[in-house]
Amino acid sequence: MTAPGHPQARENRSGLVGQSVRRVEDDRLLTGAGVFVADRNPDGVLHAVFVRSPLAHARITSIDVAAARRAPGVVAVITGAEMAEMTHPFPPFLMLPGLYTPLFHALSADKVRLVGDPVAVVIAESRYLAEDAADLVDVDYEPLPTVASIAEALSPTSEPLWAKAGGNVMMDHTDTFGDVDAVFAAADRVITERFDCPRQSNQPMETRGSLVEVDAATGHLTIHNATQSSHLLRWAVAALTGKQRTTTALKRFITNKQRRRAFFAGAKQFVGTNRDGLKEQDNAGPLAQLKKDRSFLGHMNKIAVGLLGKDDYPTVKAQDIGGGFGSKGPVAREDIALAAAATSLGRSVKWIEDRTENLMDGGQAREESLTVSIAVDSDGTFRAMRVDLIIDQGAYPGFPIGAPLITKMMKVMFPGAYRWDAFEIRSRVVATNKGRYIPYRGPWANETWARERMIDVVADALGMTPAEIRLHNMIGADDLPTSMVTGPSIDETMSTKQTLERALELIDMDQFERDRVAAAASGRRLGLGIACYHEAAPGPPEFWDCIHPGTGMLTPEEAHTTVEADGSVLVYTQQMPHGQSHETTYAQVAADELGVRIDDVTIVSGDTDRTPFGFAGTGGSRGGPIGAGAVRTTAREVRRQLIESAAGMLEASPDDIEIVDGNIHVAGVPARGVTVAEVARRAADDGASGDLHGAPFEVADVYNGAGDGGWSVATHVCIVDIDLGTGLVTFPRYLVVEDCGPIIHPAVVDGQVRGGVAQGIGAVLYERTTYDEDANLQAATYMDYLVPTAMEIPEIEVHHLETLSPGENDFRGVGEGGMVGAPAAITNAIEHALGARVTTQYLPPTKILELAGVIVPG
Amino acid sequence: MKPAPFTYHRPETLDDALDLLATHGDDAKVLAGGQSLIPLMALRMGRPGHVVDIGRIAGLDSITVGADGDVTIGALVRHEQTRTSTDVATHAPLIATAMPWVAHRAIRSRGTVLGSIAHGDPAAEMPAVVLATEPTLIARSSSGVREIAAADFFHGYLDTALRADEILTEVRFPAWSPNAVGAVVEVARRHGDYALVGMAAMLTVDGDTISSAALAYFGAASTAIRVPDAEQALVGATVSADTFDAAAAIVSAELSPPPDIHASAAYRRHLAGVLTVRGLSAATAEIGADA
Repeated sequence: MTAPGHPQARENRSGLVGQSVRRVEDDRLLTGAGVFVADRNPDGVLHAVFVRSPLAHARITSIDVAAARRAPGVVAVITGAEMAEMTHPFPPFLMLPGLYTPLFHALSADKVRLVGDPVAVVIAESRYLAEDAADLVDVDYEPLPTVASIAEALSPTSEPLWAKAGGNVMMDHTDTFGDVDAVFAAADRVITERFDCPRQSNQPMETRGSLVEVDAATGHLTIHNATQSSHLLRWAVAALTGKQRTTTALKRFITNKQRRRAFFAGAKQFVGTNRDGLKEQDNAGPLAQLKKDRSFLGHMNKIAVGLLGKDDYPTVKAQDIGGGFGSKGPVAREDIALAAAATSLGRSVKWIEDRTENLMDGGQAREESLTVSIAVDSDGTFRAMRVDLIIDQGAYPGFPIGAPLITKMMKVMFPGAYRWDAFEIRSRVVATNKGRYIPYRGPWANETWARERMIDVVADALGMTPAEIRLHNMIGADDLPTSMVTGPSIDETMSTKQTLERALELIDMDQFERDRVAAAASGRRLGLGIACYHEAAPGPPEFWDCIHPGTGMLTPEEAHTTVEADGSVLVYTQQMPHGQSHETTYAQVAADELGVRIDDVTIVSGDTDRTPFGFAGTGGSRGGPIGAGAVRTTAREVRRQLIESAAGMLEASPDDIEIVDGNIHVAGVPARGVTVAEVARRAADDGASGDLHGAPFEVADVYNGAGDGGWSVATHVCIVDIDLGTGLVTFPRYLVVEDCGPIIHPAVVDGQVRGGVAQGIGAVLYERTTYDEDANLQAATYMDYLVPTAMEIPEIEVHHLETLSPGENDFRGVGEGGMVGAPAAITNAIEHALGARVTTQYLPPTKILELAGVIVPG
Repeated sequence: MKPAPFTYHRPETLDDALDLLATHGDDAKVLAGGQSLIPLMALRMGRPGHVVDIGRIAGLDSITVGADGDVTIGALVRHEQTRTSTDVATHAPLIATAMPWVAHRAIRSRGTVLGSIAHGDPAAEMPAVVLATEPTLIARSSSGVREIAAADFFHGYLDTALRADEILTEVRFPAWSPNAVGAVVEVARRHGDYALVGMAAMLTVDGDTISSAALAYFGAASTAIRVPDAEQALVGATVSADTFDAAAAIVSAELSPPPDIHASAAYRRHLAGVLTVRGLSAATAEIGADA
């Protein structure tokens, strides 16, 4: 459903981009021919099972593995202490003022910090035998007082999880923009409310899993892993499993030719590529130039590979992956333990996480407390906002991205699409005896939830409607370009206000009011909720440096496009598809640029030996703007080269030549053409062979999205229908008006939006990672952690605006927004329906009836 | 998530199965549809040394209607079979009414009706249907046959009158009275989940006067449970909203459902009352329409 007649709606495109073409992935996935980690069972593979702590917080006083080692089929049992001898601890990734980042190993040796903390790994000939032996590992624990909540973690008397952290507050930092005190003092009113979001979990259909294959002759590791970022995993395994003394590492660097060669090749390439920049008079030095280096990542990879602790760098191969939602981006302790175990045994080892392990420590998210104060004038004009944010990061920090960086994302995005004179946010991160807090689809999303909730609270206090107060304060087209109070520039791609206006046109408010009265007469309550946001997808060039200086260096992304001698097109990406349809959408983009058929294009991903280097993998709504931008840039150059080659054969000027369906010809004269395959064959016969893949045509380039506004925006409006007898909530209507710019594949975009909304519905009505007061996990199976099914999800209308951006590549990301907007729209609708203040994000039937005053809180 | 080691038996005859149970006693578990037992074993919450699979035993998979309209269901009859059976719809309609609430089709296609009864989950539908309709439960062991009254069958949480050496081979539901009406209603967090609270109701009605009532609740106690005081309030009363409200008030006052992470005790008590009214209204909807 597009928005006909909208002034900025895009003209229908010719070609593949913009069409819901049949998905390339579907034949394979829908016939069960996909290959997931669990499907790989090489001969003689061993199976790993982790022995996990039954207690949330305890000292390990002894561990006896003798009986387990004697058990049938057991090849090895490795304890935490033994693992610490084999591996480095996970290093701090982000240096922030006032942040304590603990060092921790793949397995715990002295102390356990959550239910499910791995203390040993059993390697046996089958998963059954390994589980039997794991039962025989005898661990003596001395229980410690538990820290089960943010409130307990803030208490100075709580038992510290990390001795050197000085309590359980890991970070306490305040960012201020503008003269907040003065603006607050001058405003007519200050309204404050606290919002709490309980813990949730990313729940991909496929759990985590890894198969580490060891080449018997060379010892080389090939890791098949359900990872969102194969290069990151490769680096982490190389760095953390090659434990040796610094002096040994230096000595090896000096004596190892391969390492020296890699290091100097990277340095030389960097200097070569950046010769002019480094010579400039105003140059601030090599580090400043590093940020401008278009091939920064590739150069740094070569340099760092030379310095790493391992002589041989593993190959990571990821193929089909059954979802991640952020949970397969971080490198897990189990990944490192498994690689170390396989290395020490010289045998292939496999681990497929079971659902209970996944619910214990496969990644949890969103547990945040947010106190929001808004200074507002009597006419409803927002003046300033103050936020006190506390994130419960659980026991171990997510690696590499965890709560500290997410506080910075929330800092930048909290003001939303509204005008403010000043803004301040205090961010604290606390440690508790719970699972690892990691990014979950729209990791910053609770800024939208708390802000949009708070705006309704303010509207209520001032006697305005939620729509009125938003329209009054929202940045509109007339205000652009401008900047957010937190730094990032915003341009016409920040079309949130247009999406709100369009959404309001689509809702018949008079009819809603009539339905509301009718429902009230039959014991039901109807409510309508609105939520608006913009998200960086990828955001303007300075966006990541606004979050934290230096992180912008990770934005650029490389792609390779080749034409093989048979005319087939291969596109190599560092993206790691796990449900986003890259194989289709990137083929659409490349085929359109090149003028070939979609069937001629194959997307290559996941194999670190073949794909371009990049840490980001798939995440952060980058696949459309950055990844597809890199594909488009390289495909465009390949097309230029093909036409140049064909020009001689056709005796025509390149300017007159076009490529249609793989046929290269003078425009309008298709009969006198040559095929892409013929041109490629001739080039190959002439000896053309690229450095990277040996193809006759080969283009590698890095794309950084620079010049694009890069905002993806939406307004969600939902109507809830609440049964006061049962507390059940249904959705007579849920609509999203979104603008992610030009759409590559409408069905994929709609699917992303609907999937995100479904997870938002899950967050509010079904999903909660419940711990009891002693930090025991109460939702360790799918009987208790409730993921909504198709039966619980209503029809979700998706309407599109397609605002063009000024940049070269105007695709914008859409992977996260559905999840960002939904919890706010739903909780706003529920507050509207019940006329009772909603301050928690989780509203099961009991809570609904408590809010409605039907039952007494227990 | 793999079960602890166990010995698997697949006897071809009922006698062989009963002999195995007699030999292994508490260390053996009967496997029929496996929809409760297998997950418990995979989580290692159940660790039987012996599993006796009765799936190959002939003669246990039939639904038979007796001369006076009673319906006998065998140990291997799947839930889905009763959902689609015209005999069940005609002669034991409360079972058919309960079926759409039972989990999902995939589970109903494997899980057995008698397995659900023998497992005795307090939040499952079939134990409440048993309490409401009062069938005779027939248990066999190598030492003989026992008939157990419905009221005596459920002892506590996942605990029934069945002995470790017995198999629940048949359940015989009494003939459905021409004056009987019934309903099964429940609320679950998601479609197909175990109920937060549910109710199976059977009434007999003469004209618009209720002549007997059985109200059985699930998810409301450590077993499925009847509320006799509410039933007595209904008997002799006319079919009306006031009558149902009065019964609901008694139900809410008398039940003490347990809280868990999915719902509070107060919610469940309230819901039991709401479902009482809704279930009785649904059961008597056609009577109201006729009147």
